[in-house]
Amino acid sequence: MKKNTQNLTVEKNMEDESNDNSIALRVENLTKIYNTSAGRVVALDNASFSIKKGEFVSIVGPSGSGKSTILNLVGALDRPSSGKIFIDEVDIFSLTDSEIATMRNRSIGFIFQSFNLINRTTVHKNVKLPGIIAGMSNDVADYRAMKILEALDIAGKAKQKPVNLSGGQQQRVAIARSLINNPTILLADEPTGNLDTKTGDDVFAMMKNLSHKFKRTIVMVTHNPELAESTDRSIYLRDGRIEKDVVN
Amino acid sequence: MNPKDIFLLAFEALVDRKVRTVLTILMVVLGSSLVVILNGLSAGQAAFLEQQFNTLAANVLFVGSGQRSFSSFATSTSNSLIINNVVLAKIKSLPNVSDAIPEYTGSVQMNVEGNTQRASITSIDPSKLVVELPNLQYVDGSTIKPGDRSSAIVGDTIVNPPGASTPFLTLGETIKATATYSDSSGSHTVVKNFVITGILKPSGNAGIDRSVIINLDAGNELLHKLNRYDQIIVAATTPDDVDTVQGELTSTFGKTLGATTPKALMAVRVQAASGNNAFILMVGIIALVVGAVGIVTTLYNSVTERIREIGTMKAIGAQNTEILALFIVEAALIGIIGASLGTIIGIVGGYILSIFTTTSPAGGGPPIHIPPIFVPMDLIKVWLLSLFLSVLAGMYPAWKASKLSPMVALRRE
Repeated sequence: MKKNTQNLTVEKNMEDESNDNSIALRVENLTKIYNTSAGRVVALDNASFSIKKGEFVSIVGPSGSGKSTILNLVGALDRPSSGKIFIDEVDIFSLTDSEIATMRNRSIGFIFQSFNLINRTTVHKNVKLPGIIAGMSNDVADYRAMKILEALDIAGKAKQKPVNLSGGQQQRVAIARSLINNPTILLADEPTGNLDTKTGDDVFAMMKNLSHKFKRTIVMVTHNPELAESTDRSIYLRDGRIEKDVVN
Repeated sequence: MNPKDIFLLAFEALVDRKVRTVLTILMVVLGSSLVVILNGLSAGQAAFLEQQFNTLAANVLFVGSGQRSFSSFATSTSNSLIINNVVLAKIKSLPNVSDAIPEYTGSVQMNVEGNTQRASITSIDPSKLVVELPNLQYVDGSTIKPGDRSSAIVGDTIVNPPGASTPFLTLGETIKATATYSDSSGSHTVVKNFVITGILKPSGNAGIDRSVIINLDAGNELLHKLNRYDQIIVAATTPDDVDTVQGELTSTFGKTLGATTPKALMAVRVQAASGNNAFILMVGIIALVVGAVGIVTTLYNSVTERIREIGTMKAIGAQNTEILALFIVEAALIGIIGASLGTIIGIVGGYILSIFTTTSPAGGGPPIHIPPIFVPMDLIKVWLLSLFLSVLAGMYPAWKASKLSPMVALRRE
């Protein structure tokens, strides 16, 4: 009975944004300048945009256009030179380092190009780790992790170590990990970049399914124009500035 | 994350790097076991010394010719006085002296039914032994009658040498004692037979326990002493008079006679032992510090190797304090395992080492085995010190890991 209730909670959490049109992410006049030995580099110049809950947005641009910089700033992995970022209407850079860590844990799910899984431990433990950090009980974290792995069709690999999995399977594990705390927004940095075309398409289809069926808010950095056109909206960057913002 | 999760993650990280973890633990084991061994051996030695002096009467002084050396009963021969009956009578006449007991000492080769053993000889009036050793008791037999030149009393270690399964001799048996001496005409051997009339209970005084005690005249002959005593045991009227008697002896004989008390000997030996202990403890602590440096190296390398993992942990929301705790728990686990194994190995090693360090006394006789003593509180202190140093060594790498920028860490290849 308890498990059934938890099951319903997981499903509900995954769908709870289906009828919500509010803003998940708001970026205001965001600028990032790096002072390097080669001089002052403006990586991002006064960028502003908003993303609604449930939107699947791609950030596209050539190398050095500032797309990864945006993702790092939105993910609070780095601090901007100026400008603000609001997630769920909270100015994330007004928070302390500890509060930012908590926000990263509960409101943001990261999907990296190179998966960044912890290879010494199992797939199951990798997925439940953000839940453990969030203070979830071991039973609940175990249950949620298994349910998400089942939903992403990788539950059979739960006891294996990530290093023994294919690239596509590892990326599914990374997606599962990003979902465990039911975050406001998923940030994906070239999620198909390390995968072959077929596997990349499968992973992208999975993300699209998450967006359309479960209304997850996803921001994906890519340099692949075909993938970008398959998202709801594409923000094109060039030389740190937003060149265009297109609804696909 | 709760402490259990942090512990499990830290444990997994250590298991993941088995060889390096084992080598680091080994460094802590070496350091802590060394401290445990040295502590145990010095405690054993201190207890042994104390036991030796506690068996002696509190009112006696040992008087020998020349300046008395505190480190042993050896004396300086320059400016020394030959101790004979004239000197003895003069000492007896000093105020506050209740008795003065002359003694010859030396070593002999003993032979009992084909079995041989070296032994110390204490040649003294047997009825006066209790003046020096008030608690002397017999397992079997009794003391020698005055004037009996062919009887002997033996100490417990002579009868039951360490490691022997059967007694070396029994009451009533005859021993053949062979002594050698040199003079201007060359080297000579004196052989005499003695019947064992008494076996002493273990006294705790190694000198007596490994001695064959014979009458004064018998010793004079066997050891060819020509009525020159090696030592006079002077009994003061009361223990409070010891210092006064020592002063009298100095003023009467100057530096030609040396006198010391068990208390003074004990103080000097304890002082020497504590200096020795401080030195060996320092060696042990240096070994522990070397172990701690090993932990710094291991954990620092671990931080460098796991930099992306740390970045990932931070990206998924781990707090700086949790990263700090992870690495400190790793260091603490190394410390706990290393210190615990080190303590056990130290105790076992201490006993083994004490067997190998069994020494033969200078005056002959069976070897002396001084067992180590492990005081529980000392073991706890060493364990805590090892753990403290391990955690201290883990602090810097842990702090370094906790302060890593997640973005920089994630970019690292």
